[in-house]
Amino acid sequence: MADPIVEAAARKGSAELLILAALEDAQLHGYDIAREIGRRSGGLLTFHVASLYPLLYKLEDRHWIQGRWIEKAGQRRRRCYKLTAEGRKVLAKQRGRWEAFVAALAKAAGLKHAS
Amino acid sequence: MHHENPWLSRLRERLAAEGLTPSAHLEAIDEIAEHLNDLHRGLIRAGRSEAEATAAVEAELARMGPLAIAVAGRRGHGTRSREGWTSGLAGDARHALRALRLEPGFSAIVILTLAVGIGACTTVFSFINALLLGSLPYPDPDRLVLVWETIDDDRDRRNIVALPVYDDWRRESRSFASMGIWEYKTFNVASDQEPEQVRGIRASSSLFTVLGVPPALGRVFTQDEDARRERVAVVSDGIWRAHLGADPAALGKQVRLNGEQYQVIGVMPPGFQFPQQGTGVWVPFHREKQDEERDSHSFQVAARLAPGVTFDSARAELEQIGRALAQKYTENEDEGNTVTRMAEHNLGTVRTMLTALMGAVILVLVIACVNVANLQLGRALARRREFVVRLSLGAGLGRLSRQLFAESLALALAGGVGGLILTWSALRAADLVVTPGFRTLPFRGEVALTIDAVVLLFGAAVAVAAAALFGFAPLAGLSGREPNTLLRDAERGSTAAANRTRLTLVAVEVALAIVVLSGSGLLIKSLSGLLAVNPGLDAREVLTMQVSLPQPDTYGPPTRENFCAALSRGAEGLPGIRGLGAISHLPLSGANAGRGLTIEGRVAGPDDGASAAYRLTCPGYFATIGIPLLDGRDFTHRDVTRGEQVTIVSKTMAERYWPGASPIGKRLKLGPLESLQPWRTVVGVADDVRHFGLDSEAQREFYVPYAQSSWPVMTIVAKTVGEPMAWQSALSAVVKQVEPGLPVARVRSMEDVIVGSVDWRETPMKLLTAFAIVGLLLASIGVYGVLAYYVSQRKREIGVRAALGATRRQLSSWVVRQSMIPIAAGVSVGVGGSLATGRLLQELLYQVQPGDPQIIAIVVALLVAVGLLASWLPARRAASIDPMMALRDE
Repeated sequence: MADPIVEAAARKGSAELLILAALEDAQLHGYDIAREIGRRSGGLLTFHVASLYPLLYKLEDRHWIQGRWIEKAGQRRRRCYKLTAEGRKVLAKQRGRWEAFVAALAKAAGLKHAS
Repeated sequence: MHHENPWLSRLRERLAAEGLTPSAHLEAIDEIAEHLNDLHRGLIRAGRSEAEATAAVEAELARMGPLAIAVAGRRGHGTRSREGWTSGLAGDARHALRALRLEPGFSAIVILTLAVGIGACTTVFSFINALLLGSLPYPDPDRLVLVWETIDDDRDRRNIVALPVYDDWRRESRSFASMGIWEYKTFNVASDQEPEQVRGIRASSSLFTVLGVPPALGRVFTQDEDARRERVAVVSDGIWRAHLGADPAALGKQVRLNGEQYQVIGVMPPGFQFPQQGTGVWVPFHREKQDEERDSHSFQVAARLAPGVTFDSARAELEQIGRALAQKYTENEDEGNTVTRMAEHNLGTVRTMLTALMGAVILVLVIACVNVANLQLGRALARRREFVVRLSLGAGLGRLSRQLFAESLALALAGGVGGLILTWSALRAADLVVTPGFRTLPFRGEVALTIDAVVLLFGAAVAVAAAALFGFAPLAGLSGREPNTLLRDAERGSTAAANRTRLTLVAVEVALAIVVLSGSGLLIKSLSGLLAVNPGLDAREVLTMQVSLPQPDTYGPPTRENFCAALSRGAEGLPGIRGLGAISHLPLSGANAGRGLTIEGRVAGPDDGASAAYRLTCPGYFATIGIPLLDGRDFTHRDVTRGEQVTIVSKTMAERYWPGASPIGKRLKLGPLESLQPWRTVVGVADDVRHFGLDSEAQREFYVPYAQSSWPVMTIVAKTVGEPMAWQSALSAVVKQVEPGLPVARVRSMEDVIVGSVDWRETPMKLLTAFAIVGLLLASIGVYGVLAYYVSQRKREIGVRAALGATRRQLSSWVVRQSMIPIAAGVSVGVGGSLATGRLLQELLYQVQPGDPQIIAIVVALLVAVGLLASWLPARRAASIDPMMALRDE
């Protein structure tokens, strides 16, 4: 998160949304979560290890995501996370809030509406 | 494929640096390490160079703080934590060692300080271990007792025993499995080797049964051999080696003891020295007619308690027998009996001294710990942040305390090892410091000062106690507060509370140093006062030399009637000898004998039998050793067996038995009126001598010419020209010429005899002085350290004052005044403490009171001087700083 504005926004709660969204369709481990977010944001949003894992643990503590160790033949053991039912509800709710917020921000600050 | 993840150890290292215990969070660390590995490989796959990829991962690793917090806070999510109490401890130990390695200077100072404190403690303890805790070298030593007669049935006024009373005990008591009697003797041992004078005893065969130590070679004598008056002897390992060539076939050989042939029948094992160090010969008791007198107290009695009999019940029985004997015999009228434990014989003073020394070294150790606590406190301010971060990492105050304690323990144990090394070298050097009188205990021989398991254990315990004492200072003020508040405090560098603590520690150090210094001051003043006491004789340029002059009947007329005359004649031509004499019991040497007397014409009360200490002298003794004759004359070589029987009495004796009149021409006799002893006419009065020690009062003494009544051991005294020891061989040659084959022993200058009489005071005084100096040094360093820090903390205040126009002189005197507050507090507490501890030393003091104003004044002045210097140095520095700089520094 090199951009200070993006970073500030992420700190204010958007990072949770990003992680929940990344896990919406797939079980991923930490590195892939970071990569998926980077891919989806076109490289604008990246997570450092030092900020990603504290978040993952926090979400897991809230029972929004659930991690477990998965071992596949010929591969290293990895801890993969999936969205829980509760996590899905939270994701839906947060999406709604962020959409409202971004719309309001766009109006108030005269941003071009994202497509 | 399943290689160790290359980033695992690097990650652990980084997290550990953030205060996390990696071993406690294996799962989370595995997971994150996989992430780092994926990242590295992903970058390589994306076409980055190895160096670039590694740099990117390192960048991730650079700021691990939040991650460490998150990992630490993570519990129970499939983590397979290996944390148990032991792995926690191992982690603590590793953490402690790492923390200490990071600050080698700090660690070295702390370890050195602790080594001095702990070393002093273990050194004194090794004395206690050897002298007080060591058991007697006989089987079941707790069952061994000494049996005594007492004066006035007072348990504490013990008297040696008369043979008939011993026989009564044997007959009437039921408390003992065995009982033995002995008398101290001196033997001239003659073999092919140079003759030698050794200590020995005549003993009942039952004494060996009491002690329960079998001979290493041969056998001990039997009751029959004793009764049949057979001349058999048991010798020590030392005599066997020196005179019998360590030959197993020496059994049955003859040795000459005091000129008589004895057959050697047994050799005792090495180390067996009963009843005192250097005892080399044990011969059968052989009852003599004169032993049978009920008031002839000459013997010591040891016994072994019968199975099932307690010490208390044995003592009760003996005291009961004593009361019965007092009823039955007039000689025992004012007497009683009692029993003491052999192991505790004569340990009273030693115990007091060692207790005093232990007290002193504990104070030194506390001073050392206070210094370390001060250092820790200083470091704690710097580490406050670390502690707070770790507290917020969820370490928990308990866990943090444990880690800190592990650190303190590591320091203390290192200090303990250093201390043991110091102790080891101190004990090696003990020969220089420890006078023999302090190392020789009755019934034990010379005590070995060693570091054994008990001492090691003690050292470790002291180290742990020290760690507990100083270890928790950094935690003070952490408990019960929110990490955030603490963090803010730490960042602001809040130090008011810490400064208060440190100034209190200064006061404590000053107080402790005053207590130790005043204690050693009291002992030094006692000893110097004692050595200044006039012993009643002139010890300068006097040589003393002991010879044994055995004869079959010790009480009868001497077989060597002309010994004194021959000695005088032999020395006459010698240029270096200005005067010569001899005495049976040299003053201050510990030797003594007493006799009951009848004073002609004196009507004695019922409990008032006359008695006095008994001495035999050769003519010239008084002039040689410088005892003034107050009245009458000295003996001459014409005072012989056939002439008038004469005596010289001491001033105290003259005043007691002939008050207000001259005793010259009056008569006395040994023993009761009806005894067959001749009447002796008093021909002279000699001034008093402090025979029993510089700290004892003069006793009644009377002197008899050696030529009229012999004694088996005489000490020759000679007034020399210059250094007495230089004339040793000249005088020995004279003795050899007078009595060929007679060994001389205990050749000493009279000044050494006097010093030797106080040597049991000398060792504790030297040790206590050494500890006091160490204590003072440690306290000075500590006080300086704190005050210097305190002044540097108050730079801003000093700057303000300087800006407001205070002169340098005003500034430095203000700083000194501020610093003297805790020192004054310490002085007043310390003076109170030294009054209290001085009372504990009372038993060791001689004409010095615990609150001796001179000593207190000197000690207080010393500490105030230290305090002034310790505050003046930083004050001068503070006053010379530029006010603007001082203010800007904040």
